[in-house]
Amino acid sequence: MAETLVIAKGLGRDFRDGNADRINVLRDVDCEIASGARIALVGPSGSGKTTLLHILGGLDRPTAGTVEWPGLGAFETLRPRQIGFVFQSPSLFPALTAVQNVGLPMLLAGENTRANDIGASLLQSFGLGELGDKLPEELSGGQAQRIAMARALAMAPKLVLADEPTGQLDSRTALRFFDAVLSRLEDTDIALVVATHDEVVANRMATRWTMDHGRLTTGHRPGAAAA
Amino acid sequence: MMFLLWIRGVLARRFLRVAGAAAGIALTVALLAAMALFLANAGASMTARAVSAVPIDWQVQVISGADPDLIGKALTEAAPVKTVHQVRYADVAGFEARTGGTTQTTGPGQAVAFDSRYFSDFPAEIRSLSGTLDGVLIAQQTAANLHVGPGDAVSIQRMGLPPAEVRIAGVVDLPDADALFQAVGLPPQAAPQAPPDNVLILPQEAWRQLFDPQQKARPDTTRLQLHVRLAHEALPPDPVAAYTFVTAAQRNLEARVAGQALVADNLGSRLGAVREDALYASVLFLFLGLPGVALAVALTFAVTSSGAARRRTEQALLRVRGATTKAILFLSATEAAVAAIGGTAIGMAAASLLAIIAPGLKATLGVDGPTLLLVAFFGLLVGFIAFLYPAWRDARWATVTAARRTVSRPKTPLWQRLWLDCLLLAAAGLFFWQSASTGYQIVLAPEGVAATSVDYKAFIAPALFWLGMALLTIRLSATIIAGNGALLRMIIAPVSGPLAPIVSAALSRQSGRLTIGIAMTALAISFATSTAIFNTTYNAQARIDAELTNGSDVTVFGSTDRPAGARLAALTSLPEAAAAEPMQHRFAYVGADLQDLYGIDPDRIGHATSLSDAYFSGASAAGTLALLAATSDGVLVSEETVQDFQLQQGDTINLRLIDARDHQYHPVAFKFIGVAREFPTAPKDSFLVANSAYVARMTGSDASEYVLMRARADPAALARQVSSVLTFDPSLKVSDIGQAAHLIGSSLTAVDLGGLTTIELGFAVVMAAAAAGLMLALGFFERRRPFAILAAIGAKPRQLAAFLWSEGLLILVGGMIFGLLSGLLTAWMLVKLLTGVFDPPPEALSIPWLYLAVMLGLVAASVAAAVLSARPSAGQAAEQLRDL
Repeated sequence: MAETLVIAKGLGRDFRDGNADRINVLRDVDCEIASGARIALVGPSGSGKTTLLHILGGLDRPTAGTVEWPGLGAFETLRPRQIGFVFQSPSLFPALTAVQNVGLPMLLAGENTRANDIGASLLQSFGLGELGDKLPEELSGGQAQRIAMARALAMAPKLVLADEPTGQLDSRTALRFFDAVLSRLEDTDIALVVATHDEVVANRMATRWTMDHGRLTTGHRPGAAAA
Repeated sequence: MMFLLWIRGVLARRFLRVAGAAAGIALTVALLAAMALFLANAGASMTARAVSAVPIDWQVQVISGADPDLIGKALTEAAPVKTVHQVRYADVAGFEARTGGTTQTTGPGQAVAFDSRYFSDFPAEIRSLSGTLDGVLIAQQTAANLHVGPGDAVSIQRMGLPPAEVRIAGVVDLPDADALFQAVGLPPQAAPQAPPDNVLILPQEAWRQLFDPQQKARPDTTRLQLHVRLAHEALPPDPVAAYTFVTAAQRNLEARVAGQALVADNLGSRLGAVREDALYASVLFLFLGLPGVALAVALTFAVTSSGAARRRTEQALLRVRGATTKAILFLSATEAAVAAIGGTAIGMAAASLLAIIAPGLKATLGVDGPTLLLVAFFGLLVGFIAFLYPAWRDARWATVTAARRTVSRPKTPLWQRLWLDCLLLAAAGLFFWQSASTGYQIVLAPEGVAATSVDYKAFIAPALFWLGMALLTIRLSATIIAGNGALLRMIIAPVSGPLAPIVSAALSRQSGRLTIGIAMTALAISFATSTAIFNTTYNAQARIDAELTNGSDVTVFGSTDRPAGARLAALTSLPEAAAAEPMQHRFAYVGADLQDLYGIDPDRIGHATSLSDAYFSGASAAGTLALLAATSDGVLVSEETVQDFQLQQGDTINLRLIDARDHQYHPVAFKFIGVAREFPTAPKDSFLVANSAYVARMTGSDASEYVLMRARADPAALARQVSSVLTFDPSLKVSDIGQAAHLIGSSLTAVDLGGLTTIELGFAVVMAAAAAGLMLALGFFERRRPFAILAAIGAKPRQLAAFLWSEGLLILVGGMIFGLLSGLLTAWMLVKLLTGVFDPPPEALSIPWLYLAVMLGLVAASVAAAVLSARPSAGQAAEQLRDL
């Protein structure tokens, strides 16, 4: 039976804009992620996808509602061991090479000896082996996003949250890369949530969540099957 | 509109960078303004002190037959005269006195008469030792020679006339005898003449009664002088201008009274000597001040360039959207204007505040206004160039893609490939060697010549050394950091722990930025270290100079008749006295030359005063004194005497000393054992040092005229105690080291360097802390995103801290090692090059440990503050990633 990794209930997130007006980015969002889930999070720009991913990944805190990680352990241990994250904007550490960036979560987790080998292996599996010694600023945006995905998988986490991982790739490369990711996750219990505008990518996922004006309008309610 | 939007954006988003640049400009402006004020005030203070130390400004000698009234009239037309007095001199064949059944006679002497009110206008010319000032006065040495005191009769052996007898009313000291009896009209290069050994001072009427007949019979044996005090308030404040003013007035007077009078320009001579000090003050300004200004300018540029990556990215975006180079420069100019105007205003305000609170820096805006305006303009210029030059360079040369890069593979710059750093250091060594070979003669102000010169080539050595050390720091730091080797990991290991390999890898890719930080920190620490060491060494030498002049912390000056040594027991028992040692001060003839003779106990003299190795030629102080102690009839003589008399070590010298038993000079044999260049209380030219026991045995008197005393703490407090126990004996004079320091008018010690050095040391600390902390903080500020990424992917606070602290530690360690090394070498070079400032030259550098510890502590604290302020706050990684 699939293990419940994350449960969110009544999530809300407010921000203040430059004029000190309150903006409701998330409103009353309920959701649940089980192990092995393949979820596409779709919706127009500004609908709250990134904010929801940040809250589910423990990077941000909701202003309303609760989020729990029953299958991932204590909050302090979520990253880098339990959750891998791929950010929308370039997020590689500029002073480290591609392979060092991929191995960075392992180093932070104290697994120094395997970091380089696993980093190189992941890059190889995504067809990026020749980029291992490149610095982030020597890479294209698409290459950097693929390396960021490799980094998210380095610790073999239970949950991967990816924000527009193919946003900077052409559709053919995007599909090939995404298939490689899915292939890598095949036969694992790693749950994958991908925020995307790419319908082809979204269609590769078993579940589709749709965000609109901060509400999760379509999707699974707590207790429903996640995958 | 776009201009205002840009300004608002700059202030809202880049306040720290703009504020950092403004702080750099403020430091530049404040330091430069303070230095300019110091220079102006140092000159004025030197002039005022020099003028106040001249007892008689001009001595105008009336040629026989000329009309004194006409000369007086010419005087008032030639110069701003405050007061004029007549002084009459008459040569006499000798003096004779009968006391205690014996007759004492002296050699030739002079009889002098001052007009009424002379002593109230020239009080420094005479000091009463006993009796009164009304009547016939006798000089102390003459009184000793004749064995007379108040109430005794002295016979004057007039030239070509019968002797005349006068009765002594008082015994006096003539502290300014050298000037009072100088030969007027000799060329400037002529050797100074010794004052007469025998002097009698008569009331004007008595003099005329006794010597008018001699004047008629032997006009060549009498003289009339007009002693002139000029209106000092009319003199320009700058010593060079004052010298020019006074010497021009003197020449004007000489032209007016040609053939009727000769002029001795004591004031001009004094100001001439001070000109050299004024030039040295300028040299000190250049040596000590300009590196600070250069550092502040470099700091400003470093601050603006610390945001180069972000600025280039913004410019690249503007260019992509079609902005022209002109438009980009205009926007940079708005940013520059905010920093430059703000920084200049803050700097000027800080300088004004310093002018109020710092000693020796009282701003006189009427005089210093144009200078301050120039300084303000310089500050604005620095601000605009610091922003506009990189903007222009990037807009003109960098491609949009290249411009957006923040980390790139290191390339070896051209200067490194050309080994420019090593070439500069070698060139510095060569220039230094050249200065050393000329005896470090940086300032030349020949006596009697209006023109002065400063050997500006001497500045090349430290300037090249500074630049070379900065580049060498960059080269070595870059090699260590970019190499990512064991040394780098060892340095950061204490703070990076298990992350050392990845942290060092990250640091190795940022070697360019880090080495600039290390170089700036090293330069600032070097500046602070060299300034502090120079200042401490200077102060230590100033104290030694004052001690040399005064003899010790406190010296009691007496005479053979009233020796201070008679009070030794009382003086030794004073609570503030750490030690008291008697010292004889006699006079001895070396051939026809009368010299001061100091009789000491070589084993004990060091208890009460410091004897530097520089005082003796060819051997150390300890070695020379040990030799003197072992040779009872040994004598140390001056280099001048060795030259004049062609003496060889071991030669026997027959000196003539007064024997207390018959008050006559008798030859005493001494053995020449060494050369003394300087000695406590001794004059600069020639003197003798011998064993007091031998002198006492050979002269029949063990009187010790002086007592040298070392204070437990405050010399002034000891001097007060000494004065209180000696009140009953006004003939004993008490002087402490503080008074001596004030009186050394011709030395730079007289310039109040306190203001300059306080400001310098203060600025040095601020700049050292700013260079390390500010540079680091700005670097962190520009790289908030990578740190937010680290936090977002799961780095714990301590792991983030490992990255931050490693960077801080690297800058701190590199900056301290290179800075202290460079500072120490620069200080050594400065002390050598500025040998002319020191008298005597220092034997070793004095290290201000406390200041260095405080400075390094503040640098470390600023680094710690930068690191702590840069740590991303927990739970905000997502927000920061959105914002950055």
